[in-house]
Amino acid sequence: MSEPREVKMVSVTIEGRTTVVPEGTNLIEAAKTVGVLIPHYCYHPGLPVAGVCRMCLVDVEKFPKLTPACATSVMDGQVVHVHTEKAREARKGVLEFLLINHPLDCPVCDQSGECELQDYTFQEGRATSRYEEPKRFNPVEDFGGDVMYVPNRCILCTRCVRFMGDVAEEPVLNVSERGDRAYIGKAEGHDLTHEWAGNVVDLCPVGALLSKDFLNKARAWELDRSATVCTGCSQGCNVTVETRDNTVVRLKPRSNTEVNHFYLCETGRLNYRWMNRRDRLDQPMVRVQGALREVDWEDALDAAAAALGNREVTVLASPNASNEALFLAERIIAKHGGQGVFRVERGGEAPLAGVPDLSLRAERAANGTGARLLGYTDLAEQRKPLQIGADSAVLVLDDLLEGDIPDAVQQLLAAGARLVHVGTTLPDAIAARVDVALPITNHTEEEGTFTNLRGRVQRFLQARTAPGLARPSWFVLGDLTERLGASDGFYTSAAVFDALAAAHESYNGLSYARLALRGLPVLDAEARGLTVEAIHA
Amino acid sequence: MTIRVKVLDRPIEEVSYIRSTLSGLATTFKHMIDPHKVTMQYPEERWDLSPRWRGTHRMLTTETGKAKCVACGLCPTVCPANCIKLVPGEDEEGNRYPLIFEIDEFRCIFCGYCQEVCPEEAIHLGRHYENAEFSREAFVYDLERLTAQMHPVSELWDPADPSGE
Ligand code: SF4
Ligand code: SF4
Ligand code: SF4
Ligand code: SF4
Ligand code: FES
Repeated sequence: MSEPREVKMVSVTIEGRTTVVPEGTNLIEAAKTVGVLIPHYCYHPGLPVAGVCRMCLVDVEKFPKLTPACATSVMDGQVVHVHTEKAREARKGVLEFLLINHPLDCPVCDQSGECELQDYTFQEGRATSRYEEPKRFNPVEDFGGDVMYVPNRCILCTRCVRFMGDVAEEPVLNVSERGDRAYIGKAEGHDLTHEWAGNVVDLCPVGALLSKDFLNKARAWELDRSATVCTGCSQGCNVTVETRDNTVVRLKPRSNTEVNHFYLCETGRLNYRWMNRRDRLDQPMVRVQGALREVDWEDALDAAAAALGNREVTVLASPNASNEALFLAERIIAKHGGQGVFRVERGGEAPLAGVPDLSLRAERAANGTGARLLGYTDLAEQRKPLQIGADSAVLVLDDLLEGDIPDAVQQLLAAGARLVHVGTTLPDAIAARVDVALPITNHTEEEGTFTNLRGRVQRFLQARTAPGLARPSWFVLGDLTERLGASDGFYTSAAVFDALAAAHESYNGLSYARLALRGLPVLDAEARGLTVEAIHA
Repeated sequence: MTIRVKVLDRPIEEVSYIRSTLSGLATTFKHMIDPHKVTMQYPEERWDLSPRWRGTHRMLTTETGKAKCVACGLCPTVCPANCIKLVPGEDEEGNRYPLIFEIDEFRCIFCGYCQEVCPEEAIHLGRHYENAEFSREAFVYDLERLTAQMHPVSELWDPADPSGE
């Protein structure tokens, strides 16, 4: 890595609070460091500065007039006032102009509750309107993809235009017409069917660009949010899961400048329906005299331990299983011999042009890299056929066994081996054969970590409650490994991760506390050729 | 063990009930001829309710008979008793509309906040008090029931006109 460039630091006082920031920082970002939010619409940290909305006007001492905070870089010793009479009056005027043609249909607007126009108007706008003339009206337009445009609500901040132009580098959107007739138009013959276009919905500060998928589904304030990691591909974008009544209703990007900046692709964004699956396995089941019976957890775990016994085990893992679960299954292999394999769906890549190293990756699962680091082999890369002895065991770890099942897996399942299934569903393919089925929670119902394709280990948190008697995967496998003498048992997923960090060099020294919510790379990411630098070298 | 009861020997004028019976009857007769009656002959006669009376809800409808509610979610949010269940969705024309709108009148404390907060003037409290039902479930009013109610609706207190003139 190259030495960081020497950056000059300057000190600035904002609302009486002094902060030291690198030279070139704008006032909005500088104010954030001291906990002051300067109202703004057109500015977004991920986009080039436009300075068109005039909402960020602030009073800077020794400046003759108000200055837009987004387009002003800090100067040493500057004193900035955000809430002087003059600045508030100016912003009040800006808000009044923004609202003259605004329909004020908050009751039916999906943005309501997370709308910056609502927030700032409530904070510092006029309580009543003085505008009496008829309002401009434009019909709702379908922008293609998942995006819908409600021109009446648009405040022409041009965030969407700049995103498509400068970040997606596909300048589909533009400002059409002028003055109070202006609206956002799309280039003739083009629309927003772009893998990353859905981000304009998040960027739009008002309810002008809406997700068709989320339309009329819920109110922003009714949603419960938790931090997670997208399972759409191996990029590992940071995501917030939003649930209403224990049902996942949408996914939103969570900013992490090391991974996905502020963005999320369409594939990931709409990849949430499976999280709400109803046909879940929610009772531990054991085959008794040829038929699967629901039993309690202790009996099921004993039966699973007996089925695995001292046998050599082949683990067929899901590449969406957490590192914790994969690690515990790997402990069984380490103790009794055998191998770990996984299979992963592949698709086309779709990079986001304006952001380095951000793309919808070909590998459409979150933890393929984690599985490889723990010694699992991708069946597509497996050269020699799988060897399964007659007196061996197969442990299926949440491979859903849906769609086309490759021959290697067919053989694995067809072999006479004992079959233990630890999964969120009971796949038809093995329902008739499985000896023990243990229900686990899916990744929105437990916590754990994934390792993305750059070797970055990231945590995800629980977002909803589990169905029936299902238990977290680390919990079930922890109990199972304890019965098999492969571990001492675990009480938290953090403890499982600590054991993983102790057992595997790549993870040495990492812990949940250190990973926090933005994650850290595995220690030998570079040596293993995972980082961009290593790939280019 | 036997319990000894002490019997007091009181004079007859103290233990006789005749005097108190007569005084009771006197009160009864006095009320019979008193023109100021307090008993109301319900149900032939009914109370005049204050315009601000807050009784069980009614959902107002548009000219086409559809509930005015647009499922904005404000009333379930403001309700202090948490007794409004709302599941938003879309109607046939794709407009925002409640798929489920239920008020549990047993849990309702008749504060009137829902009426006050409603931006569409859709949900109202009613000026009536005849709510008897044969089952507890019947006190959960669904959208159909709420729109079918025909009784007059409550007027809320207007801070600009505190005494209601
Ligand atoms: S954009 Fe904001 S202010 Fe405008 S109707 Fe929607 S929620 Fe209300
Ligand atoms: S649609 Fe939204 S993001 Fe685009 S200019 Fe209008 S308000 Fe801004
Ligand atoms: S009157 Fe008050 S308690 Fe009853 S439904 Fe309305 S807001 Fe809730
Ligand atoms: S406040 Fe009015 S419009 Fe909003 S959900 Fe309640 S009844 Fe419907
Ligand atoms: S945020 Fe500064 S002008 Fe829009």
